[in-house]
Order: sequence, then C-alpha cells, then structure tokens
Amino acid sequence: MTSVILFALLGLGGGAVTALLALGVIGEYQASGVVNFAHGAMAMLCAYCYTELRAHGRLVLPVVVLPHRIPLAAHGLATLPAMGVTLVYAAVLGTIVYLGIFRWLRHAPAIAKVVASIGLMLALQAVVVIQFGTSARPSPRVLPSAPVHVLGATVGRDRLLLAVIALAAAAVLAAVYRLTRFGVVTRACAQNERSAALLGWWPVRSEAANWAIASLLAGLAGVLAAPITSVTPSTMTLAVVPALAAALVADLSSFTIAAAAGLLIGVGQSLCVKAATSWTWFPQHGVPEVLPFAVIAVVMLARGNRLPTRGEATEGRLPRAPLGSRPLLPLALFAPATALLLVVTRSGWRAAVIQSVVTACVLLSLTVLTGFVGQVSLAQAAFAGTGGFLMAKLLAHAGVPFPVGLIVAGAVAVPVGLLVGVPALRIRGINLAIITLGAGVAMDAFVFRNQQISGGLAGVKVAAPRLFGADVGITGAHAGDYPRVVFGLVALATFVLLAMVAVNLRRSATGSHCLAVRTNERAASAIGINVAATKLLAFGLSAFIAGAAGGLIGFQQGRLSPESFSIFVSLMLLAITYIGGIATVPGVIFAAVVLAPGGLGFTALERWFQLGRYQPLFAGVGVIVTAILNPDGVAAASRWASARRARARRPAPIPVAATALAGAAR
Amino acid sequence: MTLLEVEGLSVTFGGVAAVDGVSFSVEEGAVFGLIGPNGAGKTTCIEALTGYLPQARGRVCFDGRDLSGLPPHRRARLGLVRTFQAVELFDDLTVRENLRAAANRRTWWQSLGDLFAPRWHDDESAIDGALELLGLTDVAGCTPPELPQGQRKLAGVARALASGPRMVLLDEPAAGLDTAESVALGERLRAVAAAGVTVLLVDHDMGLVLGVCDRVAVLDFGRLLAEGTPAQVRTDAAVIAAYLGDDAVAPVHDGARR
Repeated sequence: MTSVILFALLGLGGGAVTALLALGVIGEYQASGVVNFAHGAMAMLCAYCYTELRAHGRLVLPVVVLPHRIPLAAHGLATLPAMGVTLVYAAVLGTIVYLGIFRWLRHAPAIAKVVASIGLMLALQAVVVIQFGTSARPSPRVLPSAPVHVLGATVGRDRLLLAVIALAAAAVLAAVYRLTRFGVVTRACAQNERSAALLGWWPVRSEAANWAIASLLAGLAGVLAAPITSVTPSTMTLAVVPALAAALVADLSSFTIAAAAGLLIGVGQSLCVKAATSWTWFPQHGVPEVLPFAVIAVVMLARGNRLPTRGEATEGRLPRAPLGSRPLLPLALFAPATALLLVVTRSGWRAAVIQSVVTACVLLSLTVLTGFVGQVSLAQAAFAGTGGFLMAKLLAHAGVPFPVGLIVAGAVAVPVGLLVGVPALRIRGINLAIITLGAGVAMDAFVFRNQQISGGLAGVKVAAPRLFGADVGITGAHAGDYPRVVFGLVALATFVLLAMVAVNLRRSATGSHCLAVRTNERAASAIGINVAATKLLAFGLSAFIAGAAGGLIGFQQGRLSPESFSIFVSLMLLAITYIGGIATVPGVIFAAVVLAPGGLGFTALERWFQLGRYQPLFAGVGVIVTAILNPDGVAAASRWASARRARARRPAPIPVAATALAGAAR
Repeated sequence: MTLLEVEGLSVTFGGVAAVDGVSFSVEEGAVFGLIGPNGAGKTTCIEALTGYLPQARGRVCFDGRDLSGLPPHRRARLGLVRTFQAVELFDDLTVRENLRAAANRRTWWQSLGDLFAPRWHDDESAIDGALELLGLTDVAGCTPPELPQGQRKLAGVARALASGPRMVLLDEPAAGLDTAESVALGERLRAVAAAGVTVLLVDHDMGLVLGVCDRVAVLDFGRLLAEGTPAQVRTDAAVIAAYLGDDAVAPVHDGARR
C-alpha cells in the first residue's frame, strides 16, 4: 500500500507538467481556435534555453545559421535569473508564433491549422537537434527536493510543490478569465471577432497576449519538468499528448478541470509503472503512453455527434483535388523517367531514388484518406509498421512471391485502419487529428517498442522478396551489388499500381462521394451517400496502402526497427505530402522526390551543400508557409492555375443578378 | 395514394418544443406547402422527416414503410431527399459532377470494384433532365463558388432531383430569387410534380407557396395551425390572425393570379 502511495505521489510531478501544458493548450485554443500540437515542442525549446542559461549563461535563439547563442553572463546563471529570462523568452516566443503563424489561420480549415502546428513542432525540434543533438541534457534541480513523509511514503518535496504550482496556475487563470476585463475581452473576441471589433477591441492584441501567457506556461512547464524528466528533443515534444488528453477532458475550456485531469493522468501513468513492476502479467512497456490515448478516446466518443448539427459552421476551403483530363499522364511520365534514373544512377543516388519511390507509396495512403475524404490522420506510420512487422513475422521463411507478401502486409494493416477509423465516424477535424496522434503514440510505445514484436535493438530481419523463384531483393550476391536496379523496379511497379488505385478512386463515383463527404457530410447523406461507409472505406484503403508500403520498407531495409515507424515519421509524412499537394498523385510524387527524408532532393541537398540535416527544418517551415499561403500544395496549385486559364476561355455563365436587374427594370 | 404520412411528430431541444405533435399526409404527385413565421419549426420538420434529428418522436411513414430509426442516407435511398436552406453544394465538384454524385449510388462492394475499374452510369438522362428543368444546362461545367446565390439554390434542387427521388423536401428554394425567377421556379416545381415526383415545399414566398401548392400546412410555434387547400388556408381566421395579418392578404392574391 505504501508503495502505491509512493508511486501516486511520484506521478504528481509528471502530472503537474501535463497540467501546466494543458493550461497553455486551452489558453491558445480559447484565444484563437487552434489546438497547438507544438505546445510541447515550445516547452522543450524553453527547457533547452533554461539548461543552457544555467550551464553557460548563454541565451539560445531558435534560429540556424545566424548567430544563435547570445552570452548574457560569463558563467552559468543562478536558478531564479535563469528562470526569469526563460519565462520572458517563452512569452516572446508565444507572441511571435501567434503573430507569424496562427493569426493568419483563424478562419482556415481544421487541416491547415493542424499541419501548421505540426510544422511548427517539426521546425522547433529540428532547430534543437541541429543546435544540441539528440542526447539527453542534464538539468540542475529547480525546486527543493528534501524528503517529506506522506501517509507512510517518503517522497521529494518538489513533487508536491509541482502539484501546488499547477493547481495555483489553474486557479489564477480561471479567476483572470472569469473576473477581469482582459478575460471578458478574450472570450468575446473568441466568440465573435467582428462584434468585438465593433466594440473597439482589437482581437489581435488580446489573442497575442493570450499566446504569450500560454507560452509562458509552456516555458514554466519546461523549466520545472527538466530536472524530473529527461530533456531530449522528442520526450518533451510528445508530452503534449497527455496534455491534450487533459485539455479534452476539460472540453478545451475549463482551466481547473484540466489541471485536475492532468494531475490524475500523471498519477495514473505512474501507477501503470508500479503495476508493471508488481504484476508479471501486466505489460512491461507502453501502458503509460496508452493511458492518455484511452482518455482521449473515451472523452471523444462520449461527446461526438454522428453528423455535424444544423448551424455548425462549415470550414473554409480544403486543398483542391483536381483530376485533370488525363489523370494517368503523371504516372505515365514518372514511371519511365524513374526507371531510367534507376538504371543510370549508382549506389548512393540509386538508393535515394528507391527511397523516394518507397516513400511515395506511403504518401499515397494520405492522399486517399486526408486528400480525398478530408480525414486528418497522424497514425500513418503506425499502419505502415503494422504491415511491415507482421509481414516480416508471417513470411520469415515462407519464400512466397513478393506481391503476396505486400498484399499480406496491406491486409493485416486494414483492421488497424478500421479501428482508428471508427472514432472518425463521430469525430472530425482537429479532434480526429488529436485522437490519431494518440493512437500513433500508443501503437509506437505499446506495440512497436515491444521487443517480442520488433526484436529490440537488432530489429526484425525481413527475408528478401522473391518472384518466380528469383531473388528481387535490394542486396545482391556480392557486397558491391547494392542497391540493385531490380528492387527499384519492384518498388516502382508497386507504386504505379497503388497510384492507379488512387486515381481510379478519384475518378469513380465512389471518389465523387469521397469528395462530397469531405466537403459536407450533411449534404452527402442527404443524397443517399453512406458517410460512415465512405470514411471506413477510406481508412481501410489508406491502411492497406500504408501497410503494403510498410512491407516494401521492410524489403528495402532488410531489417525493421521501430524508428522507421515512430510518430514523428507520421508527422513528417503528413507535412511533406501537404506541401506537395495532399489531394493529388502529382503532389505525392513531388513530395517524395523533392522533400522526402533520404529521397532525391534530400540527397542532393546533402551531397552538394552538406545540408541534409536541415531537411526536417525545411519541411517544418515549408508546411507552415504552405498552410498559410498555398493550401492546395505545389503540384495541385500549378494544375489548378492551368485549369482556370482553360475555364477563362469559355463563355461566362449569365449571373442571376443580371436577370434580377432586368426584372427590376421591367 | 398517400406517399408520406406524419403522425404526432415532435422534436424538443433542451425542453423547448420546436415541433409539437404535428400530423399531416402528402399524396403522391402532389405539391405540398409548409409555411409559417420564422422559428415555427419548418426546417426542424424537414430535418426530422429526413432522419437528421434522431431524437424526433412520432411516426413517419413513407410509401407504407415506417422510417423510425433509419439514418438520413437510408431514407434518401428510399427516395425521400431533402435540400438545404444554406445550399450546401460540394464546392470541389462542378454542377454536373454534383448531380452525378447524387445519381450514382454505391454499395460497399461496388466501391471496392471502383478501385480497380471505375464505373459510372452511362445514362445521364436524369442529370440532363434535372439540369434542363432548372435552367442550369449552360452552367453545368462551373463549380458552385462561380455561380450566383440563386443559381446555387437551383443547383441544390437539381442535385436532389438527380438522385431519382420519389419525394423532394425543398427548404426555401426561392430565397435569393427575385419575383420573376420565383414564378419560373413555381412552374418548374409543377413540372417536377407532373413527372411523378412529390414535392414538399417550405418557403417564405407566399405567392410561390399559395400559387403552386395543392395543399398547404401552416406551422406556428411548432404546432400545426391549419391545413388545407391554398384557398382554405388563405381564409382561415387563425392563420390570418397568427401569421399573415390583415394587410398580407391582398399581395397574396396578387401573387397567386400571376
């Protein structure tokens, strides 16, 4: 019993961090309707800023190339000054993020807000990796950690203090929002920007102030979390997942409920660790990461509506999905060009071509799901991993032809896709992105990090693909024969087939139903379209494509490890597909060739300019710019422009207004 | 023959009765009008009949079949198709593609077939007919954002007709049209009914409703105030007192004459 209390009290520390992050998430949402996936990354940046100030007295700016270390003192700062500087830094960061990014996305569709905040997350993470590397940074303690005795358990004072700080912050925020003029203005601007403006309030000012406060809380969370968790670019970035869970429990509005929920989630996660040490039947890994996802899923399923109700505002414009008069032409151009490239290139460059083709296969899974049906999924790498790992297990020594292997990989991913798709029947937009993010993190932690499935550090060996008895694998008989052209052609053929399925879908009646569901679920059901079936079809097909691509990744790498399918892979895939154009096959091709990690563009960047490590930064910044300026993506935008020119040559329709004028004249 | 039979339809939103025990029936091939002041529950009625409000109580029979518990798309597939007050077209698709999406139904196995061999109905006569009937043939290649509001409204009606309905429920199709266009719309609705598609028409345009409909029901505060032929409704004392008012009677006659 004492140990249960001990673990519960230990959990207060992590819970307080979750609570503080949740408060910031709610503040940002209340101010500008954005669920900021990058909130954890902002806390992470502040934690790095704090540790650097403490260690060397230098201020770290989130920039690259330009000077990014400003010396404030000759040696490390003391705790309080370092904390003060970090909090100011955090507030400025929040203001800049709002003014530079989210201010412009106020009326954008959910997908634009989601990808922009993911872009920010990737960019901040990339900056920190470039500046500090990925190893954990030590952080000196902030709060006194002298032991105290509570109900028989002995625990550091800091855990209790953290919980008190989180609850106090929540109480202060709740009071400020309810009682002060600032709070009233914020709520008024959030509810009706135009009316607030008519009353003489400038929404931008109150929203910027809210972002500054929210970011300041993120900075506080980062500083306080640094001594009790490991400071790495990814752990604190992903701390946003339990924070999102807590914020959702509070319906993204109540600060006090969010703080309480955050603390409880932290305690629950800690008790999961305790359970794993006490009971052998309890899963040893991943349950603490699954817990926030379970909370998210339960809260959302309890609240969602099957169809949006009357009067619910339809979102702004989605990325266009032009078909073009010759929809297979891009494939007909891409396939021979790539085949030629495979033959004429050697070693490193050929590997880059293969990487681009394999990535293109994964990206297609986003086109059918997010592009055609508008369902934002951050779990695509989880689908791919399911296919890859299970195929490796099932076919370990079966020696079956590779197409069978890929079909098996796709097929086993379908149930996972449908499972993730079920919440989508009731949940849409940003909430769906949150739940798929949770699902991706849970799959990563619970399944892929499970050594029995992923084979631990060594990974899982994948047998070479065979066709008609011949080895068509990536590795040849002798060492110099890598990568082989024949495997590149296998990957290319797979891509062409999958892309034809995507194009077929787009130009069929089912495809028009997909676009109908994407635009307006109510209207779609009004003409007899089964919205639920359409979404599930898209999730199933998307999971199949991703799973088959996961199998291809297995063949390509020879050995599969969880790193290939982490949540950050999913985020990167969504980001680059969105830049290229998420709703078209040419967009996928552009993203895979120019932007994919390890692909052709990446390799050129690395070989010619030694800038390969900047790829995540380019992708992050690129997707933010795309979301604000060009939501159609690079490829679709150019096609749309040509289609508009063609349309301009046709006679314009006679507007009803003209007839109305004629009627009035009579 | 009675196509739609509504008995004791009630919808409450958090204790407020938006529709309160409404009963009426619509004959096949008729044009049935539903009128009432703002907030009378007209749109709520349409939502309840077409399955958008699962909390609705009462009995709705369509072609002798009880619709209780059926979701919107199943009701639409049985032939009960609605339009929306706020148009709600698919902006990514051209007008013709909007109609095509409605004209092509898919079961899930047909959808799987579409992945390998995309198929459409070759026969587009229903689509061409709907476009022609609503005067949209010239703008069939445009996307909805390129059209003025009035034509978008008509495209919404055309889309409902293209789905091959037995009955359409039109939610204020004439809003945004001028008087001349409204009259033209009335003629088109009569043509729709003559072609065998029953029409339930909700509109504010008294000239349109009383001039076109075979029967009219009047709602007020969610209750059925009166039901009958336009002539009966026009002279109904309760209706005049509650809704039309004494002054409104004259322009209504004027509208009906045209």
